[in-house]
Amino acid sequence: MRLKDQVAIVTGGSRGIGRGIVKAFAAEGAKVAVVYKGSQSAAESLVAEVGQAGGTAAAFQCDVADYDAAVKVVEAVEAKWGPIQIVVNNAGIIRDMLLVRMKPEDFDAVIRTNLHGTFNFCNALAMKLAQQRKGRIINISSVAAEHTNACQTNYAASKGAINSFTRALAIELAGRGVTVNAIAPGFIETDMSEAVRNKGGDLIKKLIPLKRLGQPDDIAKAAVFLASPDAAYITGQVITVDGGLSLGATAV
Amino acid sequence: MPSQAEIYQKVSATLVDALNVEQEEIKPTSTLQGDLGAESIDFLDIVFRLEREFGIKIPRNELFPESIFQGDPEFVQNGKVTAKGLEELRQKMPFADLSGFEKNPELSAISDLFTVEMIAKYIEGKLQNKK
Repeated sequence: MRLKDQVAIVTGGSRGIGRGIVKAFAAEGAKVAVVYKGSQSAAESLVAEVGQAGGTAAAFQCDVADYDAAVKVVEAVEAKWGPIQIVVNNAGIIRDMLLVRMKPEDFDAVIRTNLHGTFNFCNALAMKLAQQRKGRIINISSVAAEHTNACQTNYAASKGAINSFTRALAIELAGRGVTVNAIAPGFIETDMSEAVRNKGGDLIKKLIPLKRLGQPDDIAKAAVFLASPDAAYITGQVITVDGGLSLGATAV
Repeated sequence: MPSQAEIYQKVSATLVDALNVEQEEIKPTSTLQGDLGAESIDFLDIVFRLEREFGIKIPRNELFPESIFQGDPEFVQNGKVTAKGLEELRQKMPFADLSGFEKNPELSAISDLFTVEMIAKYIEGKLQNKK
């Protein structure tokens, strides 16, 4: 068990990639706080599932875009399990549309959840992790930060910013032994990517050199690695987990 | 109010925790950056720990003022702190010992003012005012 007795927070933890990360962390022995915004039943069923598998998880409702709410979650998790060592900033939304159709609120909403949400939890935790001289921050980015599609100016901007944020924070916390990394998933089979997958159909699989869509567990394994002692010497990096999609070519 | 020795003792214990250094490395004249390896986040950590340890509030920029001269040519010329700049320093950091710095006031040496005894003196002043 690579994360035995560690306390972890996973935002957007009830569904999709976050759900996969929660299960993988719990299977490695971590106590996992499942932070969810609206999916209470999904969060509760996940907590039950983890418990049945012999792991430890608990659900915490919070809109990550709300700074005060993020601080409260951190306090509540500490009160329940003690000091936190790992945070995965995974909560993210899309509002895909052409820029000319995009309203300021569509842009704001994506930036607020994806980028401010990441800031909020990092800010609430950074000094605590620094004082412990131990900690792992893992931000979930996207291949869309570098290899983007039309209709994602808001999403691509939020993920590009997360990559820069990750590198800058990594430098600030490195002296304290706290690592900060990002994972950039490609096409992962989740509710969020469903619309794009439906539109792209089989074409998407053809674009992926490894010839399959990613599963939440593919990202979860990378997250476990970054949270584990094996990744102690890795910081400020964006690890792409996309089946080779971002290579931009397939075999002939 | 704790004695000078008690304050110094607590300050150095705080630095042991904040900077992850050995007690033996800490001397009254040790500089935080040069001798004890403090980085920017460490200064913040020291402030938080001192506040908790002594039950005081340390306003931002009081103990460790940032960019004191803000590039003002009245305060700094050719990399040296002017007489007016020294006066500004005395006002902002009355708890710092400027006697060595005044002899050769290179701006780059300003971080050497941040020593263990400077913190102890600052705390003494704070606790006296609190009474």
